[in-house]
Amino acid sequence: MRSDSMWETTATPGAPTAPGAGPGAAPGAGGDASTSTGLPVSMKIVVAGGYAVGKTTLVGTISEIEPLTTEADITVESLGIDFAGPVAGQKTGTTVAMDFGRITLGADMVLYLFGTPGQDRFLFLWDELVRGAVGGVVLVDTRRIEDCFPAVDYFEHLGIPFVVAVNLFNGVYRHHPREVREALSVPANVPVVLCDARNRLHVKETLVLLVEGALRRAQHSG
Amino acid sequence: MSAGFFRRRNFVRPYVLTRGRTSSSIGSMELHAPIVALVTTDQLPKRATPEDRRIVELTQTPVSLAEVAARMSTPVGVVRVLVGDLADSGFVQVRSAPDQGEHRDVALLERLLEGIRAL
Repeated sequence: MRSDSMWETTATPGAPTAPGAGPGAAPGAGGDASTSTGLPVSMKIVVAGGYAVGKTTLVGTISEIEPLTTEADITVESLGIDFAGPVAGQKTGTTVAMDFGRITLGADMVLYLFGTPGQDRFLFLWDELVRGAVGGVVLVDTRRIEDCFPAVDYFEHLGIPFVVAVNLFNGVYRHHPREVREALSVPANVPVVLCDARNRLHVKETLVLLVEGALRRAQHSG
Repeated sequence: MSAGFFRRRNFVRPYVLTRGRTSSSIGSMELHAPIVALVTTDQLPKRATPEDRRIVELTQTPVSLAEVAARMSTPVGVVRVLVGDLADSGFVQVRSAPDQGEHRDVALLERLLEGIRAL
């Protein structure tokens, strides 16, 4: 009885086969949930690019919630850089903020968009961010095109599907996507598109391109 | 200043909440891993902490780990440990990352694509 009402709120109302819910469930029962439990399938796309390139704007344009900020922990020791934190040498003393948004797709799928922290020195964090991601959007400001190099390198190195989105500021761009493609020398299968981060349709189309690429790869990798 | 001011959680170093632990029994709980409560806050034992209650409260419908952390203004690493404990006790359920990522699953990617196109 204790959890019956709970399961009505989940995504599979026709399947009240809640596993041993509640206290007293078998140890570890909480750890191996599957789609049959009513938990939604959660997907993730990472939005990367240089500092202040418009990542949070892009996330906010399509998110159904105001972008949220969460703090991920970093280990100062692993960085070899100087954080202006209050306590030097403390292992778990520093966190870095990430912005993210959410899009509910149908009854049982949720897509999260995570913005990478804006600076190259946080690249090490991406392993956590990128784990399990469908792919990445690399947002480019053509006035500072080099800012996106670490992101492109990272996705390429890990073989993660990505698209390059040239952000339009005030509707203008200084370099044609073709020039951006040449500057980045990304493979032909990586789309390079113009995308006003404030334009919902642009953002949507950019995500479509990304997922199409991820799907093609999944189909071909059998 | 009232006594409540000094009890605000911000005055507690985050990992005190986890008794110093930084890893969870759930293992790889991704940032976007959905969590759902299996009980209401009323059904939690009396010894449950305010953080436990908050997590159960926030996850009455499925919510991601990152979102729980954001809404609690608590670092993800801390919330991951607390959620792991609640899952061990059967109070919440977590969908942990499968070894073969869903991001490689053709059927799921097709659904994702359909879903985005329909926005």
